[in-house]
Amino acid sequence: MIEVRDLWKQYRRPHIKITSLKEAAVAFVRGQTGYTEFWALEDVSFTVNAGEAVGVIGPNGSGKSTLFAIIARVLEPTKGEVNVQGKVCPLLELGTGFHPELSGRDNVYLNASLLGLSHEETRQRYHSIVEFAELPEVMDAPVKTYSSGMVVRLGFAVAVHMDPEVLLIDEVLSVGDEYFQHKSFARLKQFKDQGKTVFVVSHDLFAVERLCERSLWVQNGKLIMDGATAQVIQAYREAVAKQEQSVGA
Amino acid sequence: MKELRELWRFREVLFNLVRRNLKVRYKNSVLGFFWSLLNPLMQIGVWWLVFKVILENEQKDYTAQLITGFLPWLFFSQCVLDGTACVVQEMALVKKAYFPRAVLPLSALVSNLVHLCLAFVVMLGLFTIWRVDFNVHYWLVIPSTVLVATFAYGISAMVAAWSVFYADVKFIVGNLLGLWFFLTPVLYPLFLVLNKQEVAPGAWLKSLISGLLPYIKAVYLLDPVTVGILGYRSGLLIGGGNPIVVTPDALVKPGMPPEAIRMAEAQAPILQAHLRADYPLSPYIIGAALIALATAVIGHLIFRRMARVFPERG
Repeated sequence: MIEVRDLWKQYRRPHIKITSLKEAAVAFVRGQTGYTEFWALEDVSFTVNAGEAVGVIGPNGSGKSTLFAIIARVLEPTKGEVNVQGKVCPLLELGTGFHPELSGRDNVYLNASLLGLSHEETRQRYHSIVEFAELPEVMDAPVKTYSSGMVVRLGFAVAVHMDPEVLLIDEVLSVGDEYFQHKSFARLKQFKDQGKTVFVVSHDLFAVERLCERSLWVQNGKLIMDGATAQVIQAYREAVAKQEQSVGA
Repeated sequence: MKELRELWRFREVLFNLVRRNLKVRYKNSVLGFFWSLLNPLMQIGVWWLVFKVILENEQKDYTAQLITGFLPWLFFSQCVLDGTACVVQEMALVKKAYFPRAVLPLSALVSNLVHLCLAFVVMLGLFTIWRVDFNVHYWLVIPSTVLVATFAYGISAMVAAWSVFYADVKFIVGNLLGLWFFLTPVLYPLFLVLNKQEVAPGAWLKSLISGLLPYIKAVYLLDPVTVGILGYRSGLLIGGGNPIVVTPDALVKPGMPPEAIRMAEAQAPILQAHLRADYPLSPYIIGAALIALATAVIGHLIFRRMARVFPERG
């Protein structure tokens, strides 16, 4: 279960990008130490129950990814509360945390431990992970020799073997070829049927439509709409169409 | 307390990161893992050539002195250097997944501890060949390593956090380490520093520093890295004795008349006794331990405070 209550998140955007001490000193001398504060999320509240699959849609910069990062405990909320019950597992995009020099096997163990699995638990699942990714013959080769599709498959396979109670997915639904997409979709459906929570952040409206019965539309940091996926997507599409017209005119 | 429990829960991450660091570091080189041992050995070989062969240093067991000083120094400097990269390198991960961030500087520390152990084994091998005495006082190496490691963790956590915000931290750290190296008694015997009565060149520098000289020496001796090196030398080379050793050879200048040489040789034990009385070691050891501990705590707190905004600023 994910419970988000009155969530606010503020970012500070410095007026100029400072990456070195020299720049910092120059900025200090010129008095350019200011920054703009802006709210990436404003007063967002919702609850996702166990066994529910919920999608979050919205344009770029709407606050979707910030919301995702707060639920994954990567960022801290400025105000408000986030309660997540059960083991959370973020699905890392494109095998984040994979090291190119290491073999597929070592990367599976490293990635699994980052997601909270012990060595022993990983060992038990190792076979099943390799099986799911369909990469048994290359597991001892360094990951830098893999195609991007292979990396994604392996990353996905590790994540779905974590036994999470809450699975967080950020823009990774459209990975792999047609065949692997079907397979991963089936797996996610299975999760939902087992009473687990699935939380998807995506631009891919079709994917959200297929997987989630409920959706949240987030724009400019505000929760615009919360309801059945079909209705939310329709409303979102209409808004986008309207925007296109006004730009075109 | 909660933090420690959290770290324990993610101990597998630490273990896997260390394994990865060790595997990756020498993956692409033909000699593989042995580079980690060959590098310091070659460095020591160069110094041996310069100081022993070319400059004709007469100090007893000079090469053994070099190695026992260089091991703890190498451990310390490598920890700090790896510290500057440990978070920056893993930014993609930090932005996506939650885990206690302290795992990153800790993995740099533990990886280097493993390297230190390997280097230590090689050193024992060399000692066997040279027949340097083995004795029970070797245990002194353990508290000395703990001292240096505590200090190294604090500094490496600090620079790890700062490196996320300023890209030039790693260059500054690299240069400062180069300077720091000469402020530890790796290449020269300690008593030469403690025995300094005045600073030779430049009138203004002389008048500026000479009054401060006792304080400078005290700070010099309070450096946890220096104390760690002294611990290594005391345990490994002089059977746990006081590491302030004045060798008569070092007092003898080339071209001295035989009379003067005899006098210098007679003077050495007196000087040694004086230095030991002037610099009783235990307060310095306690002081260095406190400094190391304080650095570790402060470094960790800085790291923890800044870690909350890593994903936003990286």
